[in-house]
Amino acid sequence: MKKISILVAIFTVLGLMTTSCTKKEMTKGKTLSLAVSSQVKGMDPIYANDRYSSNEVARVYEGLLQYHYLKRPYTLVPNLAESMPKVSDDGLTYTFKIKKGVVFQDDAAFPEGKGRELTAEDFVYSIKRLADPKLQGLGWWLLDNKIVGLNEWRKKYAELDKVDYSEEVEGLKSLDRYTLQFKLAKPFPQFLYALAMPFTFAVAKEVVDKYGKEFLNHPVGTGPFRIKDGVFKQTKKIVYEKSPSFREKKYPCEASEKFKNDGLLEDCGKTLPLVDRLVVNIIEEDQPRWLNFQKGKVEYVSVPKDNFDTVIPDAKNLSPEYKDKGIVLMVSPSLDVTYTAFNNDLDLFKKNTKLRQAMSLAYDIDKANKLFYNNQAIPAQSVVPPGIAGHIENYTNPYRGNGSAEQLEKAKKLLAEAGYPEGKGLPEITYDCPSNTVSRQIGEYFKKQMAKIGISIKVIQNPWPELQKKITTRNVMTYGIAWGADYPDAENFLQLLYGPNRAPGANGSGYDNPELNRLFKVASVMQDSPERTALYEKMNRIAAEEVPWIYGVHRQNFTLRHSWLKNYISSDFEAGIGQYLNIDKKKKKEMLKKL
Amino acid sequence: MSLSAYVIRRLFYVIPVILGVCFLIFIIFNVVSPDPTISMLGKHATKAQVLELREALGLNRPLYMQYVDTVKSALTFDFGRSWSTKQEISEMIKQGAIPSITVTFPAFFLSFIISVALSLFVAFYRGGMLDKSIVFVCVALMSISSLVYILVGQWFFAFKLGLFEISGYEEGFPYFIPYVMLPIVITVILGVGPDVRFYRTVMLDEIYQDYVRTARSKGLGEKTIMFKHVLKNAMVSIITYVVLRIPFLILGSLLIESFFGIPGLGGITLKAVNSSDFPVIKAMAVLSGIATIIFNVITDVLYVVVDPRVKLE
Repeated sequence: MKKISILVAIFTVLGLMTTSCTKKEMTKGKTLSLAVSSQVKGMDPIYANDRYSSNEVARVYEGLLQYHYLKRPYTLVPNLAESMPKVSDDGLTYTFKIKKGVVFQDDAAFPEGKGRELTAEDFVYSIKRLADPKLQGLGWWLLDNKIVGLNEWRKKYAELDKVDYSEEVEGLKSLDRYTLQFKLAKPFPQFLYALAMPFTFAVAKEVVDKYGKEFLNHPVGTGPFRIKDGVFKQTKKIVYEKSPSFREKKYPCEASEKFKNDGLLEDCGKTLPLVDRLVVNIIEEDQPRWLNFQKGKVEYVSVPKDNFDTVIPDAKNLSPEYKDKGIVLMVSPSLDVTYTAFNNDLDLFKKNTKLRQAMSLAYDIDKANKLFYNNQAIPAQSVVPPGIAGHIENYTNPYRGNGSAEQLEKAKKLLAEAGYPEGKGLPEITYDCPSNTVSRQIGEYFKKQMAKIGISIKVIQNPWPELQKKITTRNVMTYGIAWGADYPDAENFLQLLYGPNRAPGANGSGYDNPELNRLFKVASVMQDSPERTALYEKMNRIAAEEVPWIYGVHRQNFTLRHSWLKNYISSDFEAGIGQYLNIDKKKKKEMLKKL
Repeated sequence: MSLSAYVIRRLFYVIPVILGVCFLIFIIFNVVSPDPTISMLGKHATKAQVLELREALGLNRPLYMQYVDTVKSALTFDFGRSWSTKQEISEMIKQGAIPSITVTFPAFFLSFIISVALSLFVAFYRGGMLDKSIVFVCVALMSISSLVYILVGQWFFAFKLGLFEISGYEEGFPYFIPYVMLPIVITVILGVGPDVRFYRTVMLDEIYQDYVRTARSKGLGEKTIMFKHVLKNAMVSIITYVVLRIPFLILGSLLIESFFGIPGLGGITLKAVNSSDFPVIKAMAVLSGIATIIFNVITDVLYVVVDPRVKLE
């Protein structure tokens, strides 16, 4: 027993001693400490197809355009471009002037290790890299069939051994050192959003050539931060430092009305980035992320679902315990939609709108909102979320269920009209979902809701790749899933119901409505205008009444931040936000004592 | 047969094992595993892109050629790059093995020492109150889910008392120490329960042997009997139990790693399985197979060392 107590004592002392022997590098200047919940794959822009990797890529690399940090609805503004592009009258030619004097970060790949100036040619190269058939960049869908000659270039080199980047592509040219021209194959107004996505950010050819396949671990961009020691490692902590060669970029002095009063303009005109160091901690589990936040080791965090009731007891306001520590609650809607899709390839659903409508009416969304989203999500009436043009304010989907007796009666009537009175004659319907706890619970809830009108559901859980495989091979009857915006345009949501996009494209339900297809084709080539919005709304209405899916909710983000973190606002497009964040060191020191 | 000839012969078994492991994972991958290209391409996958990517990954080639490639890469240890992260697998293993080892090795040795000491102790006082209570505590420790130790340990010792870091990892000695202390303590607690019960049974088997009675009648002290005779004879079983666990220490502990933010191999393996990342799965399976054989041979050799009666053939 004595031995054990000695061992325990040794451990405790060692623990106390070594807690103070963490690296000392973090004390000088301002350090921003963030927590993310998933591993980062690597730092190559063309492979950054998940939110976590693309956020990291965007700390080092930059693109032609970016979203204005303090404006909602989301507004594109120039970043590496000098100004917004000149667009030809036919909407096909986009000409950009790029900023002069922007340099890449220093790296051994450049002569004498000194980063050189960014030119238009770098964008030509970077976008060709995304199209390179040998590299299989994951953002190719953005440009597929969009730029004149690029698909042909890709096809030609898919069959050859080596890709020749010097071969000119008609639609992608640098006219001079600072002028870049895109020619589109057909009008595609969403093209500009593509230029704000990390897939199209500028990389330097010398760096790619020097590191070859290891390029993904040697990020060298023009951005506000550079990775410490120059090498990205697959660890649980990524440390960035302010890039000494970053150009003079200023904190914005304009903001949307709702952001003007929260002290968000205090740093107006200051040189970015506002911190000296940025540490990204990868913490996959909720508990350690939450505990680290409470200890002040992480600046902001999403409220974990299991802690929601203690942190926000009345589902609106932060509990006094946290308020006293200076913690601030921020609620913001996210551009997404959750849904239960019908496999519209099956005659059962394809030919039977009334069956789909009956099932939608039987599904009580209000109760689901209470059970799974702490009653804080917005019940979806159709496919387009609030906050973007095409969403219809105050519109109520006539087939949106709310659990009332009246609606249930209507659902039963529709079911009888569909040929299945009280569910008789219907086969057992399968519902496939991802294999996590909440998805399973949602599945069980769906089963219970359908039982109310006599429909029998079998819930099947799947690992994520398995679910995707089932959807693309049409091996599902119904399935539960969600979609988050790639860019703030209703087209990104409506394309989920566009017939030609059927699986393995984004239209997993296989819904194919000639009228909706026609409208989509017309609207998708139109520039933003009231006419286009009217078309979007029309499609949104069709999508509501035809019920190709049972609509779920548009979720909301609940974020907590410490009082010393300045300028943080939650965004659906987080690329590059690190440069705007600031730390009030004095306040932090003071508040840490309370934690 | 000399010891070295035996070892060399046994090491040749690695080849059929690699062939077997490759065959098994190849079958599993091709029959039940979902298409990796769909999860790699994500929500915007198109039919043309899926086909292109399958071509690029070599999935459209005849199955026998894919199998030959699998075996070739396993025999040359050139596992290539991960499909999902594009990172070099040998580098992933190198980077992941050290953090895993910094947790599992100290925990393994500590729990070994503590368990053997405790089991000698309870074997000595067999049948008494102390024996019963320690066995009771061991069973109690085993009955609680490992997740409870992790959640409560992290909340109480790291968060409330502030004795340890909550989570994270820092490369290099001694920076990693504050981060691995609590995971080590929890791993030890998790190991001690079953280990003590096993070692106690082994020791008790020996204690009732004739040689112990002989030793006692010769007038040897209980301490000498326990340490010199019982422990030594129990070693064969203990070695079998312990040495074969060593290769798996490198793989780390999945739950511990994920809750304490330790960038070890446990997480890498799980993610590879979840995303059908065949090259990584293959590397981990082949390396585990080889390590198992090597440590089997080490176990056999150790038998000879601890028990001169054992002959290797």
